[in-house]
Amino acid sequence: MEFLLQQTVNGLTLGSVYALLALGYSMVYGVLKFLNFAHGEVYMFGAFAGYGVLTVLGGPTGLLVPVWLALTLMFVGAMVVSSGVGLALERFAYRPLRSASRLAPLISAIGASFFLQAAALLLFSANSRSYDAPTLIPIANGLTIGPINVWAVRVLVIVTAVVLMVLLTWWVRSSRAGKAVRAVSFDTEAAAMMGVDVDRVIVVTFLIGSALAGVGGVMVGLVFGRIFHFMGFIAGLKAFTAAVVGGIGSIPGAMLGGLLIGFAEAYTTAYISSTFQNLIVFGLLIAFLLIRPSGFLGRPELVKV
Amino acid sequence: MSNIGVDSWVAESAERDERYTGWAGPARRLLDRVPSGWKLLVFLAVAAVYPLLVPQAGVRIGITALLLAMLAIGLNTVVGWAGLLDLGYIAFYGFGAYFYAMVSSDQLSVHWPTWVSIPVVVAASALLGALLSLPSRRLVGDYLAIMTLFFAQVFLEVIVNFERLPGVDIDLTGGPNGIIGVEPWQLFGFSLNTFNRNFYLLLLLLGLLIAVLRNIDESRTGRAWRALREDTLAAAHMTTPVNRLKMLAFAVGAAIAGLTGTILGPVQVGVFPNNFQLLFLITIYAALILGGLGSIPGAVLGAVAVAFTPEILRNPGTAGWLFYVALAVLLVSLLRKRAMVASVFVGLAVFGYALRFTLLAIWDESILGAANDTFLSRLLDSWLLILGPAQDLASNYAFVLAVGGMLGVIVAKGWWRVALLVPTVYLAVFVWENKLALQPSVTRQLLFGGVLVVMMAVRPQGMLGTRRVEIT
Amino acid sequence: MSTTPILEVRGLSKSFGGLSVIKDLDITVGTGEVVSVIGPNGAGKTTLFNLISGIYQPDEGNIMLDGESIMGSGPDQISNLGVARTFQTLRVFLNMTVRENVMAATYGSTKTRMWQSALRTPAARREEDEVRSIAEEKLAFFGDRLMGYRWDQPAYSLSYANRRRLEIARAMATNPRLLMLDEPAAGMNPAETHEITELIGRLREEAGYSILVIEHDMHVVEGISDRVIALDHGVKIAEGSFEDVAEDPLVIEAYLGYGAASTE
Repeated sequence: MEFLLQQTVNGLTLGSVYALLALGYSMVYGVLKFLNFAHGEVYMFGAFAGYGVLTVLGGPTGLLVPVWLALTLMFVGAMVVSSGVGLALERFAYRPLRSASRLAPLISAIGASFFLQAAALLLFSANSRSYDAPTLIPIANGLTIGPINVWAVRVLVIVTAVVLMVLLTWWVRSSRAGKAVRAVSFDTEAAAMMGVDVDRVIVVTFLIGSALAGVGGVMVGLVFGRIFHFMGFIAGLKAFTAAVVGGIGSIPGAMLGGLLIGFAEAYTTAYISSTFQNLIVFGLLIAFLLIRPSGFLGRPELVKV
Repeated sequence: MSNIGVDSWVAESAERDERYTGWAGPARRLLDRVPSGWKLLVFLAVAAVYPLLVPQAGVRIGITALLLAMLAIGLNTVVGWAGLLDLGYIAFYGFGAYFYAMVSSDQLSVHWPTWVSIPVVVAASALLGALLSLPSRRLVGDYLAIMTLFFAQVFLEVIVNFERLPGVDIDLTGGPNGIIGVEPWQLFGFSLNTFNRNFYLLLLLLGLLIAVLRNIDESRTGRAWRALREDTLAAAHMTTPVNRLKMLAFAVGAAIAGLTGTILGPVQVGVFPNNFQLLFLITIYAALILGGLGSIPGAVLGAVAVAFTPEILRNPGTAGWLFYVALAVLLVSLLRKRAMVASVFVGLAVFGYALRFTLLAIWDESILGAANDTFLSRLLDSWLLILGPAQDLASNYAFVLAVGGMLGVIVAKGWWRVALLVPTVYLAVFVWENKLALQPSVTRQLLFGGVLVVMMAVRPQGMLGTRRVEIT
Repeated sequence: MSTTPILEVRGLSKSFGGLSVIKDLDITVGTGEVVSVIGPNGAGKTTLFNLISGIYQPDEGNIMLDGESIMGSGPDQISNLGVARTFQTLRVFLNMTVRENVMAATYGSTKTRMWQSALRTPAARREEDEVRSIAEEKLAFFGDRLMGYRWDQPAYSLSYANRRRLEIARAMATNPRLLMLDEPAAGMNPAETHEITELIGRLREEAGYSILVIEHDMHVVEGISDRVIALDHGVKIAEGSFEDVAEDPLVIEAYLGYGAASTE
């Protein structure tokens, strides 16, 4: 029982990260009807940015500021860097191709993903870096819920993710900009004719999606320790799976999908074998694409002939 | 009296229309008049002479180029002709390679004769392709791409982890170490166990494939694929059995990839999971996109270019030439007036010397390191700062600044562009000499990724493709 | 003239997510007849075409071609059975040449296999020549407009009116028994509209097709129709000769609004 609860917490933690990443995919797909392949690299750069901030602040052992401030600065730094990368992608790799075929932006995205991975390799070398979270946030700090002890860092991750998702949902529902995003998602041409600045909406979408991915990157560093230049690829695939399973284009769907994939991975690793965690996740995606491409909460696409 | 608008004028204007502009225009027009059969023969003849002129290492690269060319024209059938985005193509290559390896090595102690194994592997690959085409009935565009990508990932996972699958106790695939000792083809008593023999085999197969595919392209099947690519719904309404044709495209592409896989094993004397990573798939795409999607000569040309690039990059001397020539070409194409180009060069000289002078005044000569062992590097050594101890750190910052500068250059216009180009070019050269020239494999990856992005924005039809009109 | 109508639609109904687009519709087209379908926008006319050509499946009702049901078939099967159509939004194969566009439509009536094409067997070459002349023959139907050097031009270089003609030529190459034209005169100036009217007449007289036409331009409808069917909100509100339908009060109301009929 204890084991199950522990795995559930693991699933929740993983799921939170995947949800944050999946949100980026879903939002961009919603407004552009395009899958941003390079989103995983945005997340990866966020993780490294967080590491960079941590190092500048003295590293886990010689921290010059209180821990809470360090963490906040790490998150902010990651958000800034990730947004920068995301915005550059939108402006230079995708915007010139808005009126091109379906194939062109996809290839551009693959190329960009590749380029970014190589850039990371160049800048950070192939060595992985460690956040050394246990030193930063000692394991001793934690919550005890029933029979299990939840590490503080996991609590942090889950709580931060939930807060961000709540903020995002509120923003999309109530703010004017959020309404604009929803309008563009629904019918880009009509929104443009109603006076919505579609270009700006797209930029904002990329900004938010990338910032969330950056936060996710720092979280992964905190929870799992090691970050490396290739981490964006597999995480990207899984987050993408989460977005599809939950319903691509749907914000609550991305959150739901993220959690599902997180649980799937945690339980598979625990009860079957870690060898198969990737296989199961990929299998899930293929199954969904074949049976229900619109995922759980997505809208089936209706095309007017 | 002007006859603008009259039908004959319109007809002639089609000829007047410079489809090929620029300095390559007349050459392209001339080339167009040569029938493609002759062009193929010339290519084959030139290629046939190649192994006689280069050392074995060169032949090995030639083999890589030919393997890539076969894969590129196979991929072209699926993506370029039928318009189906297949990101899992690498799995067919792997399937063919592994299947052949399993029946031609000691892995399972099965040794089929070549005349049996090759047709079986090719047929099985075609079948696998047909199977993978089934999702394409319901999924289009991005979704199909993702599905096929995941299929390739699944394939890799299975290959690497096969023995660890539940209920399995034979080592079918050699796990992460692959299968070694793959035997060469045996044809008519000849064992194709040298590089040269495999080279000629590949050349022969490539030539045959090109001829066959060309015929198919100009036939009802080729037309149907093109109709399918243009507008699937309209094609269906015009009696085209779209699902069957999608299956056919996948099957043909997969068969070609499978066939190519059967030659990889003998050449490497083994097949390894590393041969079938996403990196290689991107390489095939880069070759096809660069050469021109939808064009067979484009695919071949792109493959040759892409295959020889790593070799060029590996040699610091030629890599340097490539870099500087490309830089010069880029400069000229980015700036409208000759005065601007000249200004950039002048600005660079001033900037470089000024920077060097300033930094050497603040610190001393100890920050400098040795120039790279190439002609150009030594030439530029007195102008450029080639650093010693701080090389890595400075290059990193320079790289980020250079990328930012390049993005800025794209956005800037007129003399602002000139102004921004000076520091950007300097930084680019700095990063090259201090970092990139020393790391050819990373540079290669940067290059391929960058090429894909730039090509799509600037010249999506590649070198030899034709510009398409898309329904938005 | 045979007695079985070439097209018979009975009790056809279709809704999309709760919105009923077509309700209990009966349509017949006799062999060699030209029937026009008119109605305000949103009346369900294109949906009717989409149901007949196999893009959607009806919720209720039956569609019969020359007495045989074609329900449940997809567009490629239905086109092989003899129903060809053009599209309201114009869907020619832009990057293929004019001739190739029409040649592509002969797929269903040819049988060269891929391996035969690959080896360029004599049979393959013969069939290729046949297909080529069929395409040129269909294109010749349009006179000067789609002749000669135009055959080798990519379709995107054609003017709008010529693209419409190309679409019709392409549909003709599928050897249809029933030709469905979705707003063939859309976007055309009066001279072109006149040409289209003549063209449809010739399609019936010279080529012998049975034709179902959706059209908004009443001059065209008047000039071509043996019979006119008026739809509104997915329901048939009038049927008969052009004069009968044009004066029907329900039709006038549908186009001009409630009470418009009483001001006649």
